[in-house]
Amino acid sequence: MKKRTVVPVLLGLSALAIAATAGCTQKQEKYKTFTMFATMTGTEISDDNEVQQIIAEKTGVKVKESWLAGQDPAEAVGTMLASDTLTDYIDAGNAFPDLLEAKKLVAWDPYIEKYPNLKAMYTEAEWDGFRQADGKIYWANVFQNHKNAATTCTHNDEAFWIQARVLEWGGYPEVKTLDDYFNLIEKYIAANPTDKDGAKFIGYTCLCEGWKYYCIENAGQFLDGYPNDGSVIVDKSSGKPTIVDYNTTPTTKRYLKKLNEEYAKGIVDREFATQTEDEYIANLSSGHVLGMCDQYWNFQQINDTLKSHGRDLDGCNYIPLGLTIEKGMENRWHTYGDTVNVSSGVAVTTACKDPEAAFKFLSDVLDQEIHDLRFWGVKDVDYKVDENGKFYHTEEMRKNAADADYKRNHLCTYSYLPQWGGTSDDHINANFPTEQGSEFQLSLAEPVVNVFKAYGVDNYVQMIGSPEEPLGAWFPMWSYSNDLKPEMEGGMAWKEMGEVKHEWLPKLVTTDDFDGMWEDYMKAYEAVHPQEFLDVMQVELDRRIEAAAKYN
Amino acid sequence: MKNRVSAADILFYIFNGIFMTVFVIVTVYPVWNTLVLSFNEGSDAALGGIYLWPRVWSTKSIVSVVTKDGIITGTYISILRTVVGTTLSLVLNAILAFIVSRKKFLFRSQLSLFWVITMYVSAGLIPTLLIYKNLGMVNSFKVYVIPGAVSAFNMLVIRTFMQGIPESLEESAQLDGAGYVTIFLKIISPLCKPVYATMVLFAAVAQWNSWFDTMLYNRNNSNLTTLQYELIKYLNSVTSNQGGGQQQGGSLGNINTLTPITVRCAASVLTMLPIVCLYPFLQRYFVTGLTIGGVKE
Amino acid sequence: MARAKKNGDIEIKRKITVKELKKQWVLLAWSAALVIYGLIFYYSPLLGLVMAFKRYKIGTTLLDAFTAEWCGFEHFQFLFSKPLFWEALRNTVCMGVINLVTSFILAITFAILLNEIKISFIKKSIQTISYLPHFLSWVIVCSIIHQAFTSKGIVNVLLGAGTNLAYDVFCGIPFVNDWFLDNNILNKFPYLFWSDENWFWPIVAFTNLWKETGWNAIIYLAAITSIDPCLYEAASIDGAGRFGKMFHITLPGIRSTVVILLLMNVGWILNAGFEMAYLLDNETIRHFSTTIDIYSLEWAIKSMNYGRGTAIGLFKSLASVSLIVIANGIAKLFGEESLF
Repeated sequence: MKKRTVVPVLLGLSALAIAATAGCTQKQEKYKTFTMFATMTGTEISDDNEVQQIIAEKTGVKVKESWLAGQDPAEAVGTMLASDTLTDYIDAGNAFPDLLEAKKLVAWDPYIEKYPNLKAMYTEAEWDGFRQADGKIYWANVFQNHKNAATTCTHNDEAFWIQARVLEWGGYPEVKTLDDYFNLIEKYIAANPTDKDGAKFIGYTCLCEGWKYYCIENAGQFLDGYPNDGSVIVDKSSGKPTIVDYNTTPTTKRYLKKLNEEYAKGIVDREFATQTEDEYIANLSSGHVLGMCDQYWNFQQINDTLKSHGRDLDGCNYIPLGLTIEKGMENRWHTYGDTVNVSSGVAVTTACKDPEAAFKFLSDVLDQEIHDLRFWGVKDVDYKVDENGKFYHTEEMRKNAADADYKRNHLCTYSYLPQWGGTSDDHINANFPTEQGSEFQLSLAEPVVNVFKAYGVDNYVQMIGSPEEPLGAWFPMWSYSNDLKPEMEGGMAWKEMGEVKHEWLPKLVTTDDFDGMWEDYMKAYEAVHPQEFLDVMQVELDRRIEAAAKYN
Repeated sequence: MKNRVSAADILFYIFNGIFMTVFVIVTVYPVWNTLVLSFNEGSDAALGGIYLWPRVWSTKSIVSVVTKDGIITGTYISILRTVVGTTLSLVLNAILAFIVSRKKFLFRSQLSLFWVITMYVSAGLIPTLLIYKNLGMVNSFKVYVIPGAVSAFNMLVIRTFMQGIPESLEESAQLDGAGYVTIFLKIISPLCKPVYATMVLFAAVAQWNSWFDTMLYNRNNSNLTTLQYELIKYLNSVTSNQGGGQQQGGSLGNINTLTPITVRCAASVLTMLPIVCLYPFLQRYFVTGLTIGGVKE
Repeated sequence: MARAKKNGDIEIKRKITVKELKKQWVLLAWSAALVIYGLIFYYSPLLGLVMAFKRYKIGTTLLDAFTAEWCGFEHFQFLFSKPLFWEALRNTVCMGVINLVTSFILAITFAILLNEIKISFIKKSIQTISYLPHFLSWVIVCSIIHQAFTSKGIVNVLLGAGTNLAYDVFCGIPFVNDWFLDNNILNKFPYLFWSDENWFWPIVAFTNLWKETGWNAIIYLAAITSIDPCLYEAASIDGAGRFGKMFHITLPGIRSTVVILLLMNVGWILNAGFEMAYLLDNETIRHFSTTIDIYSLEWAIKSMNYGRGTAIGLFKSLASVSLIVIANGIAKLFGEESLF
């Protein structure tokens, strides 16, 4: 009897669903729809997203974005190739060489000439960096590229961070070196063993999970005063830029030894090496962690939680510090200007039936009007304009912009399509709301404002205080090492260096016999032939310098 | 004799009661915790420490999952593939099991081996994709129900069950002039209800939960995506620890697409619901012992 | 009847004769159709196994795999040359065996004990609850498990409280007091389970049991229903007690199902632990958590080396089939149910 009732119910449901889907598929068609895939995780916006609709009306194109789900990036691209389900646009990340080999990409060259917006994205020298073996350009990176005046309020990159209240408690002291940093944390904990909710403080923690082990791994290069070339240091002191391995420098050894000592003293989280990212974020959100080394974008989400629990007023927000190993050194934790990552970007595939329109859209989204729609939203709905033409948010709008549902249904940033940082063509507003100085000041909690006041700075970047200077033509070297595969020269060494470091760095921090273990570590490290990797990097460095010399 | 309860029995009941209580508490906890989290406010849940009851109530996560696009189409496709796929799978596996459980069948061992191998040997994803592409499986509904219809696992479980049925039943039917079709439909199948019910459950769960095939074959066709795929996509925007190439990348424009843990839980709860509801329907085939009608071997 | 069957199961070797073929034409026609189906959808992709011996980059047809350059056993040599591979193999086999044994024992025990509950409502409810965790994703289950075993997690809280309580109660007894103090038991907790490689396998086994026992028991419960109730009645009349019936009727009644499932699962030993190793490992226990599948992900899939990936797959397939053939042979030797 039950069977007899189930079947009609199912049929009824099906009929309803058919009707619903039929209803859905009738509309649109007015616009060209392109598909896009990025080898990153992300949230899909809804089909009837309002800003997307406005952009479609203005440009005639809609892009349906999709993201990585349950696959490794390389695997995702491989299966798309094999099953012929490539999307029109793609950001294949490190899998671009494979798409290139399978001849599935459409060259940009004719379109760069045709569309001034596209051409303006990069200088000739920079475009040359994107050229592949056949001399053509197949993709362009969309990030870290500014026009008009540069803006910098936030430091989106790596730093040693410390809670505002610790600085306040210490009377806003000079914190310039790693030793200063840990001294302050030690003193703070000695004076305040527990937080106001009774929980014990964690002096310092360090995420080691997966590729986020950069939190423990690369501080050595910064402490020596070098910028984030990522996998290596580029030493300019002898005239000819040379590759230096930061893993074996005395500074890195001192840094790890310091962590080891602090671990023994109980300042470093006992579970730093075994925590998952969720647990790490939970710890930071609780406000019980006084300091850590991390990239800002990796933990900025905790600000919402701190705020919703009023912990921002307790001074739990993190302030970046530009530490060095010795006093009196310059630090380069912050780099000004753009970082061109030639190894990835957005591409149009051969699956696209109308590349002409696809490239036109890439150009269209760079128009200031569309660009403002993407990142600021709709005028008077998402932002207001004051009498001087300056954009600003009301409290309500700020709340909306942080709301996941609102973002999904209303905002459409096309975040992996070409975009500009810096200042709008009106020379008044920043291209990204987060970079709008006036907006930025309003978003700060009082303890943070106090810190800025005490140190006489306006924002995070000034707080770090890296010198403003032009970057080397080779910067950043990681854009090369990121794409090294084990099959390539030096690639095996690079991969195995990573494995050795993954294994040994946490051990070095927790061991009772640091010096003995450091020797074992060095033996294991040398056994994977890091020199092979360094040689390859030197070749690439020389190549980049030579390529840049053409334009000087 | 029947009504006497021995000390051993009482001890047994106590032991069994404790065992089951512990078991139920332990197994219900993760499910309960997931449910609780899905009703907690998102940024608060990131703090951790939520166990048995929500700290800050919110139905936002549940609502945001339910109102996601593609849920309606997805549900329809999922129901369709579950109904069609399960039926097909049950029929094929039952027939196959029937064949290889016939003792007189000439190639029973070879045929079993043929299917057993498929459980353990595979050339990986890429060759399968390349072949299926040529079979016209890309961008189609049939990829959900045709390629995986025979499951050697299910087939062998049914076979084991069928082998337990006395051969004399088949023999006496054959004497009455029944062919294999009649024997299969009229004699064997009615006795296999419990195992069929189990297989329906297994196949339905497999169909309902699968999303990888949707992603591989129908990624670009929003009329053929399944509910699970829509939810997995949503889940993946939450669990972004996979990371990719931008390791040293520093400032990415918009990496912060994280949505709270609670959404992950809400999506899980919603996918569990329908399949959990299916089970009680099938359970009735399990409860009573089956008496195989009057035949003694 | 379930017991009686086995002993009379003498395999009759039949000659293939035209007469016999004619008699079985229905079965033959059905199986032929199914074999063709199997060849197309299950066997034809196996042509791709040739990639294990080729230097194959991604192509767009299967033909590309055949035209690629031969490289002999290069991929295999690479795999076997890495110490990590052997560690991964050891870890996978150990985790696989531990999981297999524990999950069988607990699922069968659970099914039998559940069957002893005579109140239908309770029985049904417990069963429904027990299989729910099966539907939770590994991501969720692993995050709960990880949390539970951290220093502030429930396991440490219980153990800490438990040892303190035990000490308070028993500290009056001299040798217990000594034992507690000598081994420093009271300060052992919170214990950092995640930095101790010895604890990884047990935690994996526990997680697996936690998530899958109820689900695994379904099949046994179905099998139990096929046992003729007359057998129980007859046993009662013969004076068999509760345990007697469990051991002499219920267990033998599901024996063939148990054997078949055991055989099939033996072949899957090398798939053990992937999700959990992926989600629960950390750098300090890597040498005991890496499994074959993780190794494959690291050294083949992430770098899109299909040749190497296929080589690992082929190795796993061959190992699994060998395991199955051996296990099947043993089962046949003992007159048990066999897969083929």
